[in-house]
Amino acid sequence: MKAIPEAKSSNRRSALFLARFVVLLVAFYLIVASHPVNDAVIVPFTAAVARVSAVVLNVFGEKVQVHGTELRSERFAVEIENGCNGVETALLFGAAVLAFPAPWRRRLLGLLLGFLAIQLINLVRVVTLFWVGAHRPALFGPSHTVLWQSIVVLCGVLLFLLWASREARARSAAKEVADGSNAPR
Amino acid sequence: MARTRRAETPTARARGAEPDAFAVRLDAGAALRAVAGFALTLGVWFAFSAPYEGTLAAAAQVLVRTFESPAVTTLESTPGEIHVERSDFPADSGRPGLPAADTHFNFVLLGALFALAPHPLRPENFKRFWIAAVLLWVVHVVALVFEIESLYATRLGPWSAEHYGAAARNFWAAGFHFYQILGRFAAPFALWWGVGRPAAPTAARAGKGAGKG
Repeated sequence: MKAIPEAKSSNRRSALFLARFVVLLVAFYLIVASHPVNDAVIVPFTAAVARVSAVVLNVFGEKVQVHGTELRSERFAVEIENGCNGVETALLFGAAVLAFPAPWRRRLLGLLLGFLAIQLINLVRVVTLFWVGAHRPALFGPSHTVLWQSIVVLCGVLLFLLWASREARARSAAKEVADGSNAPR
Repeated sequence: MARTRRAETPTARARGAEPDAFAVRLDAGAALRAVAGFALTLGVWFAFSAPYEGTLAAAAQVLVRTFESPAVTTLESTPGEIHVERSDFPADSGRPGLPAADTHFNFVLLGALFALAPHPLRPENFKRFWIAAVLLWVVHVVALVFEIESLYATRLGPWSAEHYGAAARNFWAAGFHFYQILGRFAAPFALWWGVGRPAAPTAARAGKGAGKG
């Protein structure tokens, strides 16, 4: 008798998570797609991604120069655009973390660590793609469009699930402790 | 670990604990299954991209022509591209081609997420996967319609300005841009969350299953 309302309540909360996730995504989109934010935040951030990538590529002997958001060597040149700077995956991750019921302190910690992890993965992506473009140019197209975009987003989703599963465990444990202390002896 | 087990004990379930809508589990096994699912779906995607693009072009053409008067748009898919043909284009003008993979490569992400399930090859999981895949196909068709309308509204110079007002230009362009920036990555996740995750145990089912582990 109790199961149906509970399942309904569970489905409702799951649907609410999805609704919050979508609303946050649209809000994030409106913010990052606006020209002032794009010019003042996204473009300088992308240029920073290009500079860090160039440092790593130069460590591996690629002799890369940076011009704004462009990486250039004697063999290959590539422009890092929106979609290649890890911001989209970070926004996806951020929307999911903020939509998920958790204490604010843990959410903020998750956002910070998740953002850093996503940027690290994206750095590997940019460096790898530049190397592929310079040394295996035929593979650049599919690697860029399909493989690495999917890998970075999949990593973002897995990072969210890792954070959320820890969060769910903590909540279950807290609930059980509370249930235990209220149980009749 | 111990706390995880305690949270899932039959005793706890049998007490009639409320099913947790956010019962998310990610362990090393699930992550490995996701990687294997990713690789497998990538292979399927490469093998069937061309016919899949044919179905997208056919469905999007029907939708675009439904709202056109006269109906002049024809979409032709070649591997990797969907060509937009209008019978009122001048004969000597170029035909725009849209990169198709950008629209539908997120199918690979959907496959990887469904592989997270503890038993991904069970019929129940497959059924949910196919429901999500059909819904993702609908998302792809709608995204393609937005891409074509965005092309008509913003990239055909004076013709665009003559046939599309400011509101229509913004609507189609922003819709397509949203899909490009966030929507195409969010869609597989949202579909998996809504359709793909195993149902949370209800108190009645959990009570029945208590003791079976």
